[in-house]
Amino acid sequence: MVDMDKKVMARKMGRLIRSIWIFNWFNSCGVTELLPVVASIYDMERFGLIVVDNPKHADVLIVGGYQTEKSIKRVIRIYNQMPEPKAVMALGSCTITGGMYWDSYNTIKRLSDYIPVTIYVPGCPPRPEAVFQAVGMIFEHVNQLKKEVKGK
Amino acid sequence: MSWEEIIKDYNPTIQRERRIWVNIPKDKVYDILQNLKNEGFEHLSSLSVTDWIDEGKFEITYHLWSYKFKVLLTVKTKIDREEAKIKSIYPIYDRSAWIHEREMHELFGIEFIGNPDLSPLFLEDWNEKPPFRKDFDWREYVRSKYYNKENEREKAYWEVWLK
Amino acid sequence: MKDKEIGFYELPFGPAHSGSGNFMVKLKVDGERVVEARADPGYLHRGFEKLMEYRTPLQNAVVADRVCILEPLSWDLVHAEAVDEIMGWDIPERAKYIRVILAEFTRIQSHLIWFSGGSMATGFQTGFMIGIGYRDYILEHIFEPVTGARVYPTGYIRPGGVRWDLPKDFDKKCYNVLKKIEKAVEDFDKLLFSNPVFKERTQGVGVLSKEDAIRLGATGPIIRASGIETDVRRDDPYEIYDELEFNIPVMDEGDAYSRFFIGRMEIVESMKIIRQAMERMPRGEYSLKVNPFMKMKKGESYARIEAARGEAAIYMVSTGDRKPYRVKIRGPSFLHLIPVLEFLLKDQQIADVPTIYWSMNTCPADMDR
Repeated sequence: MVDMDKKVMARKMGRLIRSIWIFNWFNSCGVTELLPVVASIYDMERFGLIVVDNPKHADVLIVGGYQTEKSIKRVIRIYNQMPEPKAVMALGSCTITGGMYWDSYNTIKRLSDYIPVTIYVPGCPPRPEAVFQAVGMIFEHVNQLKKEVKGK
Repeated sequence: MSWEEIIKDYNPTIQRERRIWVNIPKDKVYDILQNLKNEGFEHLSSLSVTDWIDEGKFEITYHLWSYKFKVLLTVKTKIDREEAKIKSIYPIYDRSAWIHEREMHELFGIEFIGNPDLSPLFLEDWNEKPPFRKDFDWREYVRSKYYNKENEREKAYWEVWLK
Repeated sequence: MKDKEIGFYELPFGPAHSGSGNFMVKLKVDGERVVEARADPGYLHRGFEKLMEYRTPLQNAVVADRVCILEPLSWDLVHAEAVDEIMGWDIPERAKYIRVILAEFTRIQSHLIWFSGGSMATGFQTGFMIGIGYRDYILEHIFEPVTGARVYPTGYIRPGGVRWDLPKDFDKKCYNVLKKIEKAVEDFDKLLFSNPVFKERTQGVGVLSKEDAIRLGATGPIIRASGIETDVRRDDPYEIYDELEFNIPVMDEGDAYSRFFIGRMEIVESMKIIRQAMERMPRGEYSLKVNPFMKMKKGESYARIEAARGEAAIYMVSTGDRKPYRVKIRGPSFLHLIPVLEFLLKDQQIADVPTIYWSMNTCPADMDR
């Protein structure tokens, strides 16, 4: 028996695989290593990744780095505005444990306490290659899900 | 009156070339800054506050730069911690002073009398003490807000790192 | 009489915009005209000044480069200068040269991001691609071999010198990259600065007069574009800048175009500085021996440098403990993005807001700290 959740998940995520539209919630540290990803050096459009200006058009929310108390509220709001299926990619060590700012009074320590995170990319900041690997892993994950659902 | 004469009575220290420090009593600061501005110290490089909690004082430092003389003059003054009020230098340095004072008001809770707008700058819905004061227990605040004592992984923050 | 308040509405510019970092300006608009602009910072406030009070100078070197992501080495440098001055250290000659070379490369790559952003703000996507592409040469061939990481040098410029010596083939790489940067300047001249569309969008937009520039506390390229010849490297020299020959570009117009153009001329001057420093760099020690558990001397210092965005400064107070007692960071964008931007956006068209915003060479991270 394949549980219903997985089936729904596979159907939803299956739509993601064709091309990923990204909404950037740039938070400083994310910006510098995402710029080469967007621009000519790594050029993510080769893989069908496009940056959109509106969360309502986006499939993936990239949270680039630490979130302060003030900005996390906006993140949650943006996340809620995104239509299903959606995935969240969290860049940087600071989204995992607080990173450099583990003892700062104004930054949150773990992003998944606030919104569901699909994939964490460690690094301070993560290299552009790591971002691509993360995208690849989302694809793989979707394929895996599809296989599991079909196989039974 | 040249700028050297303005600060002559207050024993300025020359740290090195282009760095001069001077301590001035609280009630004279405004006039002296006004005179210094007229003499050519046009650029307010920074405005800072140091919390000397053992003395019970706040030290306010004005870092002035003169495009004419190429000197960085730091004017320092001490005010009581209990009565943290000082006349704003907004009329002298205009908006550049306004924004520094607004920041210091938020982080140290110092009242700048005469500043038109001291609304919060960085922090949203902040109800605690001004966070940069020395008596605000920063580490206690962080660990109780973000780290769970019961959690096995986060115990170390309580017992070792944020002690 | 008609109530003038009717008809205004508030337009938030940000906090999520495809620029650098998160920063919001609330615009009160009347049709297409901005009546009032009010900055709303704080999305990136981490409390660096307080974080540094809990760390030793060598740990702080790592923290300091996080102040501004777009030019981490400049912030490393200003922190190292502040500690050096308190400790009374005279660092080895070679370390000074290495610091200057890296600081200038940081300026160049920061300005390339600036032009990229500027071209994006005026709807010129090609400029964005080119700028970021050229910047990657610096990250890949200079920063990564020297500091070990593409962006954050993790305290490469530390109190007492630098962490380790330059790699062996650094000269070759350095000259190769400089050739590429020359090409970048040519490209930007052709594509951006002589582009009639870009000129139309930026010339005469967001004019900042001399008096206003001083009054609002502008520094760096912004004040130089308004006709005031000032540069911390020349007026308040640190490291070896007093021995080097370079010009300070100044323009009188004070508009967005001249601010961008100052940046372009600064890249040329920076390349000149790097070439001179590479020729004169002596051999020898690259750092003093620093005990990580040392106690700082009692005293205070105010270190200023010319970062890519303007005057960056750190005021440090030490009571003779292992950690500094108080650190105050003065970010150039703090002044540029709040008082100056609020002033410039008044009575402008909405379409010009991104242009003016990007012409300030923004970095919200060093504003919020």
